[in-house]
Amino acid sequence: METIINQIFAGASLASILLMVALGLAIIYGAMGVINLAHGEFVMLGAYVTWALQSFLGMGLLAALPIVFVTIAAIGWGVERSIVQRLYRRPLDTILATWGIGIVLQQLVRMGIGPESRFIAGPGILSGNTSFGNVVLSNYRIFVLVFAIGVFVATWALLAKTEFGRKLRAVIQNREISECYGIRAEKVYALTFAYGAGLAGLAGALISPLVNTTPSMGTYLVVDAFLVVVVGGVGSIFGTAVASGIVGETTAFFSMLLNDTVGRIGVLVAIIFFIRFRPQGLLPQIVRR
Amino acid sequence: MNRNNTSDYLGHLVFVLAILLGVPAALGFDGFELNTFARYLSLAIVAAALALSWGTAGILNLGQAATFGIGAYVMAMHLKLVASAGNPDGLPDFMGWNNVTSLPWFWQPFQSLGATLALGLALPALMAWAMGIFMFRARITGVFVAIITLAFLVALQLWFIEEQRFTGGQNGLTGLAPLDLFGWQVDTYSLGFYYLVAGCLIAALALGTLILRSKVGLVLRAIREDSQRVRYFGYDVAGYETFVFSTSAAIAGWAGMLYALVLEFASPTYIGVAFSLAIVIWVAVGGRESLVGAAVGAILVNLAEGRLSDLFVESWLLILGVGFILFVLFLPRGLYGLLRQGFDRLARLRMRAAGRDVKPQESAR
Amino acid sequence: MNLMQIHNLTVQFGGLRAVNGLSLEVRKGELLCLLGPNGAGKSTTLDLICGKTRATSGQIVFDGQDITGLKEYKRARCGIGRKFQVPSVFKDLTVLENIELARSPRPGILDALRVFRTPIRGRVREVLQIVGLIDLVDLRAGNLSHGQTQWLEIAMLLAQDSKLILMDEPTAGMTIQETLQTAAIFNALKGDHTIIVVEHDMQFVRQVAERVIVMNQGSLLAEGSIAEIEADPRVKAVYLGH
Repeated sequence: METIINQIFAGASLASILLMVALGLAIIYGAMGVINLAHGEFVMLGAYVTWALQSFLGMGLLAALPIVFVTIAAIGWGVERSIVQRLYRRPLDTILATWGIGIVLQQLVRMGIGPESRFIAGPGILSGNTSFGNVVLSNYRIFVLVFAIGVFVATWALLAKTEFGRKLRAVIQNREISECYGIRAEKVYALTFAYGAGLAGLAGALISPLVNTTPSMGTYLVVDAFLVVVVGGVGSIFGTAVASGIVGETTAFFSMLLNDTVGRIGVLVAIIFFIRFRPQGLLPQIVRR
Repeated sequence: MNRNNTSDYLGHLVFVLAILLGVPAALGFDGFELNTFARYLSLAIVAAALALSWGTAGILNLGQAATFGIGAYVMAMHLKLVASAGNPDGLPDFMGWNNVTSLPWFWQPFQSLGATLALGLALPALMAWAMGIFMFRARITGVFVAIITLAFLVALQLWFIEEQRFTGGQNGLTGLAPLDLFGWQVDTYSLGFYYLVAGCLIAALALGTLILRSKVGLVLRAIREDSQRVRYFGYDVAGYETFVFSTSAAIAGWAGMLYALVLEFASPTYIGVAFSLAIVIWVAVGGRESLVGAAVGAILVNLAEGRLSDLFVESWLLILGVGFILFVLFLPRGLYGLLRQGFDRLARLRMRAAGRDVKPQESAR
Repeated sequence: MNLMQIHNLTVQFGGLRAVNGLSLEVRKGELLCLLGPNGAGKSTTLDLICGKTRATSGQIVFDGQDITGLKEYKRARCGIGRKFQVPSVFKDLTVLENIELARSPRPGILDALRVFRTPIRGRVREVLQIVGLIDLVDLRAGNLSHGQTQWLEIAMLLAQDSKLILMDEPTAGMTIQETLQTAAIFNALKGDHTIIVVEHDMQFVRQVAERVIVMNQGSLLAEGSIAEIEADPRVKAVYLGH
């Protein structure tokens, strides 16, 4: 019994990280049809900003979160304005250009900070474990799980309940007509891209105590996160959440049953089959023309 | 079927002459330099293979490295067996370290050179054929093809690393014997070897160009524009897509075999995401619409990498990244597109100079 | 003699039956006009015949063969050609290349690998002359005017040489002059080809139609010559009743 609960928790923890990374990607892809392969590098930058704040200013991880969000969002805004906005009519080319952006960001960090792995301390108040009977859960992982859910709800509210969300949905449905009603589509796009990037930064900050922080940490994250987005269904953040849960739990389950590598292979193959038979994803909602 | 393109023929001629005469002369027939250039040429073949499916039919295969890597492993397996001939049971050393006691059945065919050469083309082609049927029958297109091929690539690489007993795992296959090509001991640092690779490149380009100039090329370009419409003219779109996808895979496998020869080892990095996307970069730089353009792109980028990464060890990747972004933004048709535009403008100027009035329809261009 | 028979054809999208129990016959060599108010299921019927949409139930027999379950490209090989409402030519290909693509007597890959050029003679030349594009063969189709684009698509259908040609509003967006020319072409085609036309322009229908079928709410409402149809009170009710 304990093994099973531990297993489920391990899967949920993985899922929460996936959700944090994939959520920003899902919003950007859903809103603009842009496959942002530089997303992994935004995550990586988030981790490094956290590291810098911690080692130079002695700032704790929790205190660093808002600064990380704003910083990475600003970088995302800059990337959108300078490069991505020129490619909205060429979706396959955005894959290429954002891959190039990823190479550049990675190499800048490698040259500026160094290729070696950096250590980031988790928040002190969240160290230790909570035990329920024989089940021992890490406090920090519980926090990440709760935080991811919180971010998800906030994002949903932003899209569904605010003026900005309404404008974004209008632009997604018909850019030209929205502009006729005085919505400045490019501003909406830039802000959406910045928000997605900011979420990636948050994800980077949160996972930094759990993984090796290196310049190339984003490469595989982005592939996984992107698969989650596609499985979830384009433009549906609920789909993304459900897909994160499924992929996280399945990976944990396969890993327990077989081993980590075979588990990952199994999940990838399952995803390939899923996309083949249901390219519209689990919960397709917003349809881009 | 782009007829009447004298400039294209001229370009091909210049390219072939440069590869056959210009490069060896410029390198002073130096064995070491020629070996390096032979490596670029083998990469040019895989770039042309990608351009065949991406540039013409619009199938962006982000997993092109998978077929390339399989070709490389096929060749390396043969050479490993030759090198292990003195071992008990002819068993490769790493298998012994992993407690494999007899040669597994799927290694057996690679004892023979003929089977190796055939499988180096057939295995990637068969794999692509199966994937092609899997994807194209379901009318998967565009971005989804890119995702599926990428996910497949990652899974394949993980599998190759995992099955260390049979593939050498992370280390790949090293300690290979030199190739004995039907009695010719291939010295990879010789002019002869350079011409072998150059000949393969020219043959691959000729084969690809022939396909594209035939009606198949026309149908593929039409599919890129509107695949649904093509079906109403009686063309089996999935069949055409699978055909070009498999052909491209076979050519990539061919390139992989040569690459393993040049570098004298096979490594799982050949099946990596980074390498696969690098191929895409070369093609984008050279121009996806032209096979020769893509090949030139591969040669130029690798040449630049070879020369510049010595000077700017750290910043080479930065230069590559920035350069690539600029190409995607401002030269989406690559160097080939730039040349094409130049030629078209020249032709129009010449026509005007010859006193011919520009037809009213043409002013609409 | 019948070229095609449709039995009790039905297609359901969600709760909507776009075509509902439609049965009709198409005679060899005739020009049949499909009329009906918006949403009557005319375009959907064409979609069902060419395979763009799969029928929920019912049967389509073409030239003695049941084609209800065939894929689009196989139906095209049986001899069914389609022109869409929005002119859909290949804008990146030249005029000649568009025609070459459409002229597909042997559309298999192995055959296509052996074809390197289609000379401008025979049927290809004839078709280009009929639509007046013979001097523009090397022009990219994207640079044609709207009318010329419509012509090109008609030329492609002629080059395809289908037994049955489905036309969805072929004169949409054409000037009166161009419409008249189109009517002349259609009249010349009757006999050799069987044509089904969906059209709103009654002027055009009067000029070309031999037989008219009126659809309403997915079913056949009336059938007959143009004069009979125009006198039919049920048809009047449908058109004026809205």
